[in-house]
Amino acid sequence: MSEYLAAHIQERLAARAHELGIKVEVRDDVVYLHGQVASVEQCHQIEEAARMAAEGRRVCNEVSVVPVREPGGEERLS
Amino acid sequence: MIRVAAVGDLHVGPEVAGAYRERLTGLPDHADLLLVAGDLTRHGTVEEGKVAAEELHDLGVPVITVLGNHDYHSDQQDDITRVLEDAGITVLEGEGTTVECGGTCVGIAGGKGFGGGFAGRCASDFGEPEMKAFVGHTKAFAERLGTALLGLDCDTRICLTHYSPVEETLSGEPPEIYPFLGSYLIAEAIDASGCDLAVHGHAHKGSEKGVTPGGVRVRNVALPVIQQAYAVYCLGAE
Repeated sequence: MSEYLAAHIQERLAARAHELGIKVEVRDDVVYLHGQVASVEQCHQIEEAARMAAEGRRVCNEVSVVPVREPGGEERLS
Repeated sequence: MIRVAAVGDLHVGPEVAGAYRERLTGLPDHADLLLVAGDLTRHGTVEEGKVAAEELHDLGVPVITVLGNHDYHSDQQDDITRVLEDAGITVLEGEGTTVECGGTCVGIAGGKGFGGGFAGRCASDFGEPEMKAFVGHTKAFAERLGTALLGLDCDTRICLTHYSPVEETLSGEPPEIYPFLGSYLIAEAIDASGCDLAVHGHAHKGSEKGVTPGGVRVRNVALPVIQQAYAVYCLGAE
């Protein structure tokens, strides 16, 4: 069942990659990963952890890196 | 007027060492202090704690932080705290501190916090020992937080936590996981003390702005939410 597989992959992401905010979807024979992480290295680690639990399915990694812009502006609270 | 810079969920490690600090150049020109709302690390190791200390030391303004759930993962939170404090960073866990900013005394109290949920849809201190322990952890924290906030002798009072005190700043996260993202007990402590601002992180898919039932402004400063090196909030008269 694809729902169980998605849940197991999410457990693996938490245990191996320590990422809790990645959305996992399984459609046919493809595992899709969505979300944002802090670095390219983390992005690779997530894909690797997901592949280990994907039971041979193809992993489509659509996780992106959080853009950290220069600080801009301020909010006045009165 | 006090300018408070705030950010959370840096999740640094050796693989990104130095990258965040590059964004902090000129911080004293924009803010009087920096608050960090937990999850400085990914795996909660001392090695990552040392990277966090390198990113945040000697920035030219006082740096006050709390730890987050990631910082507890490897059971090295005490060592991480020590590494940060050795670097001159103040780490709060259920206590408060004050800093002088241009003649104004700013008091900050805080800590990691914990979950449990929000009024009407929250966990109760009832049933299995595991459930009592879960709720009890949040209750004990909220009591210490309330005491720390009320004990601050200051002109401006700020609450700093990792977990959220309100639902509004979780908007964007699945509602089913709200009980794991914060607790109304934190907001109750904030409202009882007359805070000027409450800052938290943890909810990466949440929203920046919220308010407690008592009217205290709440800001979720998780890096994926603010998407800039830090947000700046100005408090008090010019």
